[in-house]
Amino acid sequence: MTDARDPIVRIEGVTKAFGSFTALHEMNLSIASGEFVTFLGPSGCGKSTTLRILGGFETPNTGRVILDGQDVTALPPNKRNVNMVFQDYALFPNMTVRRNIAFGLELKGMGKAAIAARISELASFLELTAYLDRRPDQLSGGQRQRVALARALAPDPALLLLDEPLGALDAKLRGQVQVELKAIQRRTNKTFFFVTHDQEEALTMSDRIVVMNKGRIEQDGTPEDLYFRPASRFVAEFIGETNLLTGQAIGRDQDVTGFDWQGNRLRAIASPGVGATATTASLRPERVQVAQERPGTDNAVQGRVVNRLFKGHRMLLDVAVGNTVIQAYTDTDRGRAIEDGPVWLGWNANSLTLLAD
Amino acid sequence: MTRNTRILMQCIYWAFVIYLLVPLFLMMLMGFKDSKFIGFPIKSWTLDWYMTVFADTAVLQAFAYSMVIAVVSTLIALTMGTWIAVALTGRSFWGRAIILGLTLLPAIIPGVISAIAFRIAARVVGMEPGMWAIIWSHAIHNVPFVVLVVMARLSTMPKSYAEAARDLGADPIIAFFRVSLPYLTPAMIGGGVFCMLLSFDDFVRSFFLGGYEPTLPVLIFAKLRSGMSPEINAISTIVLVLTALLGLWAERSMRGLSKRASHD
Amino acid sequence: MTYTTETGTAGKTDRTGFWGRLSTFGPYVALTDILLSSPRRQFWFLLAIPILWVFITHLGPILQMLNVSLLSSYPPSPNKVSVYTLENYRKFWSDSIFITPFIRTLVFSSVLTLTTLIIMYPVAYFLARHVRRDRQILFLMLLLIPFWVGEVVRIFAMMILLGNNGALNILLQWLGLTERPIPFMYTGFSLSAGIIYLTALYMLMPLYSALEKIPASYSEAAADLGAGPWTRFRRITLPLSLEGIASGCTLVFLISTGMYATPVLLGGPSTTLFSEVIAGFFHVAGDQWPVGAAFSCIMLLTALALSGGFNKLMGFLAGRVSK
Repeated sequence: MTDARDPIVRIEGVTKAFGSFTALHEMNLSIASGEFVTFLGPSGCGKSTTLRILGGFETPNTGRVILDGQDVTALPPNKRNVNMVFQDYALFPNMTVRRNIAFGLELKGMGKAAIAARISELASFLELTAYLDRRPDQLSGGQRQRVALARALAPDPALLLLDEPLGALDAKLRGQVQVELKAIQRRTNKTFFFVTHDQEEALTMSDRIVVMNKGRIEQDGTPEDLYFRPASRFVAEFIGETNLLTGQAIGRDQDVTGFDWQGNRLRAIASPGVGATATTASLRPERVQVAQERPGTDNAVQGRVVNRLFKGHRMLLDVAVGNTVIQAYTDTDRGRAIEDGPVWLGWNANSLTLLAD
Repeated sequence: MTRNTRILMQCIYWAFVIYLLVPLFLMMLMGFKDSKFIGFPIKSWTLDWYMTVFADTAVLQAFAYSMVIAVVSTLIALTMGTWIAVALTGRSFWGRAIILGLTLLPAIIPGVISAIAFRIAARVVGMEPGMWAIIWSHAIHNVPFVVLVVMARLSTMPKSYAEAARDLGADPIIAFFRVSLPYLTPAMIGGGVFCMLLSFDDFVRSFFLGGYEPTLPVLIFAKLRSGMSPEINAISTIVLVLTALLGLWAERSMRGLSKRASHD
Repeated sequence: MTYTTETGTAGKTDRTGFWGRLSTFGPYVALTDILLSSPRRQFWFLLAIPILWVFITHLGPILQMLNVSLLSSYPPSPNKVSVYTLENYRKFWSDSIFITPFIRTLVFSSVLTLTTLIIMYPVAYFLARHVRRDRQILFLMLLLIPFWVGEVVRIFAMMILLGNNGALNILLQWLGLTERPIPFMYTGFSLSAGIIYLTALYMLMPLYSALEKIPASYSEAAADLGAGPWTRFRRITLPLSLEGIASGCTLVFLISTGMYATPVLLGGPSTTLFSEVIAGFFHVAGDQWPVGAAFSCIMLLTALALSGGFNKLMGFLAGRVSK
């Protein structure tokens, strides 16, 4: 889906090292116009470096950055048609909201009347009209975040960079802002480049997620792809909860592969590129059915319940199978009904994903 | 600490406050004494000495001269000090420690030696003793204080402010004037007032680098050497009140700054 | 509501603000493109002037002084040829009228530094620990205000206090402790009182900021572990305030050695300090400047070496205590 539209950004063979630490290894990536792309990964994975290279705050050691058909690798931030929402918003404390939003417009040489028109347009769009004459320290966290967004959108950038902009908000507000942000992106049809370490944020908002690890792209795909067909152990563990089964892949039958686990021949699927030598498979806990009788799924094994964790609307069961414990979610009533002792676990082939090591 | 040591410390504090304030207070009293003779007891009071001061063109000229020197040298020190602070903050490079050390050097060189070094240097470059030589020496001497104050303030400025300005199309120069400078202003006001006080109060540099026209401290010094006159009390009292007011104002603006910073 | 990327129709009357005109002004843009095109150029643009400034104005005069101290005559005159010589330094050792004030200055400054430390430590401790946070500024102000007043004015105030008809003598006579006025002025006593009066703040501030930074919980934790007041002070507070002690002592020492107006006005013939000796070479005409410069260099090097050594020692002590 990414190549269906014209790429607005192309990152070609970009490497960035800070002293002996290599933050990015030979990165290649295209971003289509109007896409909401999220860079996801733990701290130090290179996601922020990528963002800062796109913004012009870092210069890559090798490689090129093409923005809208123009090589911008050596251009300073002020000469790029890219704007950024900073992690701490970086609203200028000495200026009102209005002056903050006007900042980028003024420097483009826009006339005062045109600036005023643009500000009122953005302010009504982002519901900031009432706050235009306040100073940043008189605003709530959510309002500041919208001002930062308005300020970055004002100069009409080709690409909007967002550096963990929800990190400073409290958990309750964050969910609401995620929805707003996604809606704003749809309505403006801007290309958003969003950086976060929060997998839930990434899954909620993105058209496409790029998972980074140790300066390399680990996987690049839609949220569903990443969740249900993780390519690597890292992705499987980083996004959501999972059971990792250690065994041995055994041959292929079209796109379904066998997986030998504790003497059970399980049916599994493999992402493209995962070889027949795979030794790990991922199984999401919510995809596992727990039953007293053998379920009619592609795979079924027997185990015994060793622990139950009550989580409100559902229950997490720890089921010992051989020498491993498999975790499975059931709804609470069902979990209660299951007696201690032997139970069956069942899941379909498309729930068991073989991983690259 | 036990109760007794606490009380002892409190006594030392108040004794010290008395030690600091009483001489100045006595000096102020003497300015109102109706006698040419400085000393106790005071039998009758007068405002004549203040009238003498306001009629004394030498004093008024010295005051104006000192003011001009203080203002100009402060402007130079603020510009250079802020520039150095900005250049040295947030980057590490080979030789940074050397430059920082040299920056702070004028603040630690004993007064008389620094005055003499300036005197010699002025002679070497052919600068006549007088206003510009004094301004120059005061500016150099005050740069370290500006650097320290501005660096401290700069270290509290999020890096993202300047980056956001750059991101929105400002080149480094515009970013500095529109974002960094307003952020630094309170510190620069505080540092500037401190520089003005240092310059206005300075004796040793003004003494060695001055021409025929004396600054106010040099004039007071000369008057003291030729015998104490109650007029000096009046001059000193005026200087004391002015400097205390200016200092208090600067302290308040700096304090408001730290309060606001902690509030953010 | 729709979002448009149109920025409105800017008519001819729509004026651009100052920053907009500057950032789109051709010559300015061309200039900044050259000066600031890369981080490296920005770095040199930013640093070139500070580097020149500190080398020329901060280091330059000291080097000039060093240079002149090695000349046989200065300022240059047509009938004398100036050559490089160590004669000016040799002169220092030749006469006790030079060495005595030199040693006196060092001893005097050291003793006064120690005295100031002993007086100011309890004051700083009291301020940092026993005054409520919101009142600390007020208490500090009482000490700060006198220090904004110039050196000469404060010396004058000291003269009024200590003179034969000064307040102190009047008080002592009134109390009946003495019949005739005690001659405080122009003695080591008046000079010491004056120097402490002038330098105490430079001791107080570093001590106060060092002590203020030590959380009270450290001492409380030590007390909880059974340490008595003296142990707590010796093992916790004192080591953690060593840095403040070091910088306070350094400042006071260096300032005392460089005082000029104070010894001239408050001291007497028996308390001549080295700064007066040095200054003497600049009052008289002729080629005494090289000698004065040489003596200044000797003073500067000694003072810096002593305070440097003292700081090393304090650093070593702080390191040892922390182990």
